[in-house]
Amino acid sequence: MVSKTEETQLNRLENQVDNGGGGAWEYLCLVRKLKVRRSEKVLKYGLSILNDSRKRSALGPEEWTLYEQVAIAAMDCQCLDVAKDCIKVLQKKFPESKRVGRLNGMLLEAKGSWAEAEKAYSSLLEDNPLDQVIHKRRVAMAKAQGNISGAIELLNKYLEIFMADHEAWRELAEIYISLQMYKQAAFCYEELILSQPTVPMHHLAYADVLYTLSGLENLQTAKKYYASTIDLTGGKNTRALFGICLCTSAIAQVSKGRNKEDKESPELHSLAATALEKDYKQRASDKLGLLTSALRSLKT
Amino acid sequence: MAEDLVLDTAIRDWVLIPLSVVMVLIGILRYFVSKLMQSSQLPDPKIVKEGQVIVRARNLRAAANFIPPKSFRSRRVYFSNEENGLLFVPKGQAQNAQAQMFSDPNMAMDMMKKNLSMIIPQTLTFAWVNFFFSGFVAAKIPFPLTQRFRSMLQNGIDLSTVDVSYVSSRSWYFLNLFGLRGLFSLILGEENATDDTQRMMQMSGFGFDPSKSLGAEKDGLDIVQHEWALPKFEHRAEAVLKKLIK
Repeated sequence: MVSKTEETQLNRLENQVDNGGGGAWEYLCLVRKLKVRRSEKVLKYGLSILNDSRKRSALGPEEWTLYEQVAIAAMDCQCLDVAKDCIKVLQKKFPESKRVGRLNGMLLEAKGSWAEAEKAYSSLLEDNPLDQVIHKRRVAMAKAQGNISGAIELLNKYLEIFMADHEAWRELAEIYISLQMYKQAAFCYEELILSQPTVPMHHLAYADVLYTLSGLENLQTAKKYYASTIDLTGGKNTRALFGICLCTSAIAQVSKGRNKEDKESPELHSLAATALEKDYKQRASDKLGLLTSALRSLKT
Repeated sequence: MAEDLVLDTAIRDWVLIPLSVVMVLIGILRYFVSKLMQSSQLPDPKIVKEGQVIVRARNLRAAANFIPPKSFRSRRVYFSNEENGLLFVPKGQAQNAQAQMFSDPNMAMDMMKKNLSMIIPQTLTFAWVNFFFSGFVAAKIPFPLTQRFRSMLQNGIDLSTVDVSYVSSRSWYFLNLFGLRGLFSLILGEENATDDTQRMMQMSGFGFDPSKSLGAEKDGLDIVQHEWALPKFEHRAEAVLKKLIK
């Protein structure tokens, strides 16, 4: 995930390059460092550098990293000829390289020849069973073919070895949610919260899943996690504010007969509602009426 | 005797500077040689997995208060239960790690290569220094030293009356040996093979012993008392919202 400063820097560079101000190479380096996915721009500016032989030789040994970056961007934009040319150049230079083998596998994937890609990846894995990127590509392939349960299996096996990879946990959580396996998704989000406890996004997602699971205990826990999200984002996260209101009303509904009072935070609900109204007044005042009527229906 | 000896500037020109230059050059040479001889070591899957387990267990310990108590407890059992907990290492296996490291041919070769590449240049340079640059006073150390250092720092000077601050070139060699590490990390980038002192420290404590660290993590995990921090957050959220609304 990209921090705010890095994102502003990236956007600034992007604007600069878009308006013809040069600095394409810094932009490409930043994209590579932050691992963001701006394939069209990378393709356009990368190709402009590579096709100009003067600029290309000015790069020195970085030229090959640029070839790799442009190849991947080309595959993302389905310009398979460009990708094939880049890979051919790389293969001539590094004939026995695992990285080039990986790119070849990705090209087969992009073309849609799944079986051949699978064969290429398995042979690469035999030589190097601990290559994380290849494992992840296999999962991505299974997902692209629509074989979600296969993807889950592969991802679980990957996580058995590399259990500290939080991006993989996130991917697994999203897959589980798409299959409505909410309990497992909750587990994955707990892992994410454990590894990065100060990232509000994880708290929010966990709270969403708990709210979906429903049940009194889950709803109360969900409310707590929405509260922690609000705390971590300084009250600016609209979804968390809505979450609080929804949770409170759901809890009230579920515990109608039991008269269970919420001793911990009696005001939270009304505070959240007020904060929402203020936010809407500022940013979308035409929808304020909708909001107030929705909140009122929740209160009952 | 507290006399001040006047040292010829020729000493500085012909001893101190050439010695430093030679050591820097030898360091750079060793760096490139080690790069050439570096065999790509295939990481052992079990070791990687154990490393990751430790990271995950550590995360669990650190952020235990952020997840609900039931989840924490189930995870703790997962990690440390007797039969198939991840962190549980039966006594017999604990010894194996060390023995394995010795018997694993690749790793033994690697360690030998690293040791050789460190020992041989050091020995040669030391012998060269002793042969050429002994028998005279090379420098004066700015701070006073006790008599114990005399044998180490004044090997060629057979006068026992000379102040210990006047040292021979052997001490300049040692000074360079330890001091040029910073210079090398500047010239050669972070990871360079000239980090002798680090490796010497590593040799005394034996390298990566996974079973011990697993055991340590398990103990740490058993100790943790789970205190769910989330209820506090509700109050804090209230406070934040109150401030926001104002």
